[in-house]
Amino acid sequence: MTDTEVEEAAPRGPEGPVVPAQVLPEAWPKGTDHKYIGSLFVVAALVFLVAGAVLALVMRAQLTTAEAEIVGDRTYRQLFTLHGTFSVFLFLLPVWLGLGSAIVPLQIGAARLAFPRLHALSFWLFLFGGIMVAAAPALSDVFHGWTLSDPIPVRLGLRGQGPDLLLLGLVAVCMAAVLVIVNLIVTVLQLRAPGMTLRRVPVFSWSMMVSGAVLLLALPVLIGAFGMLFVDRHYGSSLFSGFTGSRGGNPLIWPRLFWFGAYPMLWALLIPALGAVSEIVATFSGRRLFSRERASVALVGIGVLSFAGWGTEVTTLHRARPLFILGGLLVLAPVALLIVNWLATLRVAGKEGDVAALRRRFAETPMMWALGVVPVLGLGLAASVVSAIDAGRDAHVTYWQTGQQHALFFGAATIGALAALAYWGPKLWGRRTSDGLAKLEILAIVGGVLLTVLGMLLLGVQDMVVHTSTFDSGDDWALGNMVVSAGAAVVGLGLLLVLLNLLGSVVARRGARAGADPWGGQTLEWATTSPPPAHNFDALPEIRSDAPLLDLAIGRSSSAAADSEGA
Amino acid sequence: MSMVAVPATADHLPVPASGAAPVVLPSGEPLPGPVPGRPRRGTTTIGTMLFITADAMVLATLCAVYFAIKEGSAAWPPRGVQVGTYIPTMITITAAMSAFSVQWGVWAARRNDGRNATMALILTLFLGLSIANLEWLTFVRSGFGFNDHTYGTMYDLLIGYHLLHLLAAIVVVLVLAFRVLAGHFTVDRHDALRAGAVFWQYSNVVWFVVVSVLFLASRHG
Repeated sequence: MTDTEVEEAAPRGPEGPVVPAQVLPEAWPKGTDHKYIGSLFVVAALVFLVAGAVLALVMRAQLTTAEAEIVGDRTYRQLFTLHGTFSVFLFLLPVWLGLGSAIVPLQIGAARLAFPRLHALSFWLFLFGGIMVAAAPALSDVFHGWTLSDPIPVRLGLRGQGPDLLLLGLVAVCMAAVLVIVNLIVTVLQLRAPGMTLRRVPVFSWSMMVSGAVLLLALPVLIGAFGMLFVDRHYGSSLFSGFTGSRGGNPLIWPRLFWFGAYPMLWALLIPALGAVSEIVATFSGRRLFSRERASVALVGIGVLSFAGWGTEVTTLHRARPLFILGGLLVLAPVALLIVNWLATLRVAGKEGDVAALRRRFAETPMMWALGVVPVLGLGLAASVVSAIDAGRDAHVTYWQTGQQHALFFGAATIGALAALAYWGPKLWGRRTSDGLAKLEILAIVGGVLLTVLGMLLLGVQDMVVHTSTFDSGDDWALGNMVVSAGAAVVGLGLLLVLLNLLGSVVARRGARAGADPWGGQTLEWATTSPPPAHNFDALPEIRSDAPLLDLAIGRSSSAAADSEGA
Repeated sequence: MSMVAVPATADHLPVPASGAAPVVLPSGEPLPGPVPGRPRRGTTTIGTMLFITADAMVLATLCAVYFAIKEGSAAWPPRGVQVGTYIPTMITITAAMSAFSVQWGVWAARRNDGRNATMALILTLFLGLSIANLEWLTFVRSGFGFNDHTYGTMYDLLIGYHLLHLLAAIVVVLVLAFRVLAGHFTVDRHDALRAGAVFWQYSNVVWFVVVSVLFLASRHG
């Protein structure tokens, strides 16, 4: 192999425009490029993340000291509702949909998504739904919790159109998500480059497939549930109100319906984070995952078992509880296996590689983010064991569950998303972010999340109930609340730094240009320019495994070794 | 050097670089060779099937709520509710006929037989509109309102859910009929037609589920 052929296979150091044409404002609103629409999803998600964080900080301000009167009980419940809804439906869902639809076609060597115009439609539908959700409190109070079950917003004297708008907005958001997922799965099934068999699909794309399959089955349940609740409220039927009888429906159905959809959905929003971390760990170890097969199987295992534990969240399922507890515990096993897989990869890399070089590579920003996921995920898993057994045992949800959910689905999923942004952001937008600032971000967010979660777990042990909007100075909750508030403030600071870093590096274009392959990547997206052209690839290397660029590197070094032996 | 074959029809597939070195693992064994790209047809059909999967979950949710409420009710359907089986039976028979007519359209288009394909799709549209008409009649003649009891709500929601799919399928088949007339489909390219037919068949499946739930599994108490 000659050097020119390598250059052809993996073009490096391009002199093209840093911001591709489709990211410029002229593309709006007609652009259908998957990287452009994916970036729009990510930007919208970050806006809603900030909004959700601001809501959380107001809540924490109210709960920092005993008997505070910053917001009243009703306002607190509104903040609580919107914080949960924003975080799950308007941040975690779109951030993975956006990153997935921007990165997956690149990873499988496709030139586009299967249905580009449907993709654009999905984003605008999502934005429309998101604005409806955000506008809901302007019409009337929305204080039912993100599970919409405290109380269920049926017409029990609760007038006002706010919940109606919220429900319709959520239906639009979920429908948009289903359309993106259909698009993504069809793309992976149909548009893979020659040689890219399903077994060779990179692990992040694989995790998006698994997550997509779960969401494809879980989100429609939520669409149906939100739709029926809307019908109840708006057209005066009584499916979820009243007790048995010929006219009345059954309020016990609502939590079962909601959690049947929402429980797998939460896991599905963690799965891509695990996929992204797997990808990053392999890249920065400079080798394949310890066992790629087991990582794939573990991801599928999480997806399948995520449907088994929903009943742990429901207080009225007495007879079936043991089964659901088993399901809630089983789903933790593949997550633990995946962590072991990462650690084994690092260990083998440390044994076989040059330790000084590895240490340098581990200090790169995406790897630091990815390593930050591990302690948070570990803490979340430990808390989940207790939570699976304890949750739903009695009617009051304590802060233990809040802590567990924040560790797994806020902490690990969000830090994973930030790791993915740090890793693939330079590919999508052509600029690297400031490494120094990134270290501060990682310290603040990982540390802040750990502090927050530990505080919440402490409050859970002390039986503080979730919807409590104030507490007496006599209660022993002061310490825990102070810790949670401090952690939240640090996380808020970290998010601010993330935004400043992105704004300065990418939007103001102060960041260093990212070459085609800033991290020594193994998958196809690093075999094209950063940002990639509209058609993604001018040429593709031959694909013989899930890491074609690693194959090329190995081939190069082995042929160099052969040359030197021959000499 | 093995080149990877790129099918001529797949304009979306990037051309692979030639001349990449054969890759050898550190252990010395070569990696498995490249798998030749296969022409991938039926993208729209597969997309439709995935969408249908999600859609079926919404239908399942509706049915789950129906059965949950039914189990908790003393009398089901409520006293005084008489739902005849004549119109549902007629709809079922019409739906079964439309299943054949739409498939006739696809097979005709596959043989490049535009005349038969157009006729089949027009017949399908006619049958679809008949079903929509009969369904409207069930709403009018049911003798109870949407809010009278939860049976009425679920009855209207389930039949309305089918009506929604039927109307969407009618629009789809109408567009497809015009595309057949415009000569868009050939022996090799009729993916959209197949996808439309799949959606039509799914709309029929929704009806069979709805009629089973509402009329066959309804007696209780």
